[in-house]
Amino acid sequence: MEQQLHEPVFPANRGYLKRKKVYNNIAVFFAAAAFIIGSFPVFHIIFEAVSIGYKYLNWHFISTLPTGFPIGAEGGILNAVIGDVYLIVIASILAVPIGIGTGLYLSLFGKKRANAFLRLLNELMLGIPSIVWGIVGFYVFSTNTGPGFHFGFSALAGGLTLGFIMTPIITLLTEQAVNQIPASYIEGALALGATKWQATRSVILKAALGGIFIGILLGVMNIIGQTAPLLFTNYYNTGMPTGVTGPGGAVGDLAMLIFIYIHEPSKILHYKAEAASVVLLLFIFALDLGLRLINYLAKRFIL
Amino acid sequence: MFTLKYKDDLFKFILSVFVLSIILIFSVSVIIVLYYSYPSVIRYGISFLWTKEWNPPKEVFGALTFIAGTFIVTFLALLFAIPFSFGIGIFLQEYCPVFLRGIFTVIVEMLAGIPSVVFGVWGVLTVVPWLRESVEPFFNAHFSNIPFLKVEENIGYGILAASIIVAFMILPIISSITKDSLASVPKLAKDGALAMGATKLDVIKDVSLPYALNGIYGGIILGFGRAVGETIAVVLLIGNQAVVPKSLFSVGYTISSLLANTFTFAVISPIYASAEVELALVLLLTSLIVNIIGRNILNRVIGGRFSRSQFGGG
Repeated sequence: MEQQLHEPVFPANRGYLKRKKVYNNIAVFFAAAAFIIGSFPVFHIIFEAVSIGYKYLNWHFISTLPTGFPIGAEGGILNAVIGDVYLIVIASILAVPIGIGTGLYLSLFGKKRANAFLRLLNELMLGIPSIVWGIVGFYVFSTNTGPGFHFGFSALAGGLTLGFIMTPIITLLTEQAVNQIPASYIEGALALGATKWQATRSVILKAALGGIFIGILLGVMNIIGQTAPLLFTNYYNTGMPTGVTGPGGAVGDLAMLIFIYIHEPSKILHYKAEAASVVLLLFIFALDLGLRLINYLAKRFIL
Repeated sequence: MFTLKYKDDLFKFILSVFVLSIILIFSVSVIIVLYYSYPSVIRYGISFLWTKEWNPPKEVFGALTFIAGTFIVTFLALLFAIPFSFGIGIFLQEYCPVFLRGIFTVIVEMLAGIPSVVFGVWGVLTVVPWLRESVEPFFNAHFSNIPFLKVEENIGYGILAASIIVAFMILPIISSITKDSLASVPKLAKDGALAMGATKLDVIKDVSLPYALNGIYGGIILGFGRAVGETIAVVLLIGNQAVVPKSLFSVGYTISSLLANTFTFAVISPIYASAEVELALVLLLTSLIVNIIGRNILNRVIGGRFSRSQFGGG
């Protein structure tokens, strides 16, 4: 910005050049203001959640089930923490193999046109609104009438629906990770007579491991904050699940707990919703940090 | 040799099974939405889209209120978000000091990582009281004769609150794509203009933006797709009353918030459920069309590179 302009040849230009510099400074101001206003919620959300919820943030809050009246007025959020573990595990069981498999297929096999179609399909799945996934999940897993798995409102139904959301993310990141490997690595392996399976096992999976792991973490980060798909497939449970399907199979969930608590008129539940938001945000930002660390290490040591 | 070939075929076969299952998931989803909305599509026809009355006990279903609510919230959110994301993209790519660019980008990505429900809580506890106590009385005092700015009920909840929050949610998508598009401008072209004595603003205005504009359009389209389906934050903020909003401050209802609130009751009556699934079909088709167009543009401009901000929330 502070470039040294030469003395203009025509003195009449001086005002013009000055004006241009002023305009530039105005643009800097507006761009910086846009950034400050745009990033304001990040700080204010964290500040508000911590300043309201801090008095509940202790080990007791995380390790006890909600009790009291209205339910949740006393006790903690253990049901939601355990429920999230259920949901993440179930979603990952579905999404990780399918996502990695499809990602590998896209970068190793397949015809050009078929792959373009698959990629489009994958990107479209990324764009489907989560409430639509909820309805699909309801009719595939939860409903008691008509065709479907008839799991009821349960961890299995909710987790698999979240798995649908997670799959395209892992596919995308796996394909990107494999495509980032220098072609010479794979060609070298193939030139030595390795089959694609051997090349995958000994070269690709090792070199792309960081990227694939990032995909999984991103998927978890995404589904942990989802509420809408769970409305019709799992809903909520204030206690511990007794199974993963049918009655008693529903689990608690942090996002769902926040959603339900904020709907209640009771102030104390609002405070607990904020405290639970802190836990949820901490979890998400921890995943985010892990992901950046892996990205850094992978760039530094693997490739 | 035989075993090697065999293993490789097996490998390819297993991968194909995974590929088939992703195709299966997608087609089952689309088929389910089509199948369960079919009775309603047949019974109410195309006029479903512009009939206003929504009366489950009488089995009269028209989606106008919800479609109007959805698109008004979406357009308002885009209106708020586009200038800011534009500024953020330009700031991050062109103006901010290089050593701060990394950390600033992380902040924008953090915005993308905040779950929808947490945004909703923030809206309920911060934005709604602010609107109720500061903004609405101000508009009531000064602009009450302008129809679009009339404050009907001074409650804070309504389409304005919902659109502000949705705007913040799509901000990271549009700004990160703006930034990536600006980053894809060839450095030589920019350096050339700078060497001619142009200021940075001239370079942005005359070199970078014309080059990056297509990518930015793609980003806006993807932001639209995200805003249309936004559910949980909107449910908490829009007021959930089935009226076509007449002013910026009136309450409303969107497709997604109607589904979130009533779908579990609707499944008791097949035709009611079918009408609701038809609303989901509207959402699904909108998002599919929008995404096909947006991705197409982005694949051409920034080579289909995905930035972190494009998924997250929900």
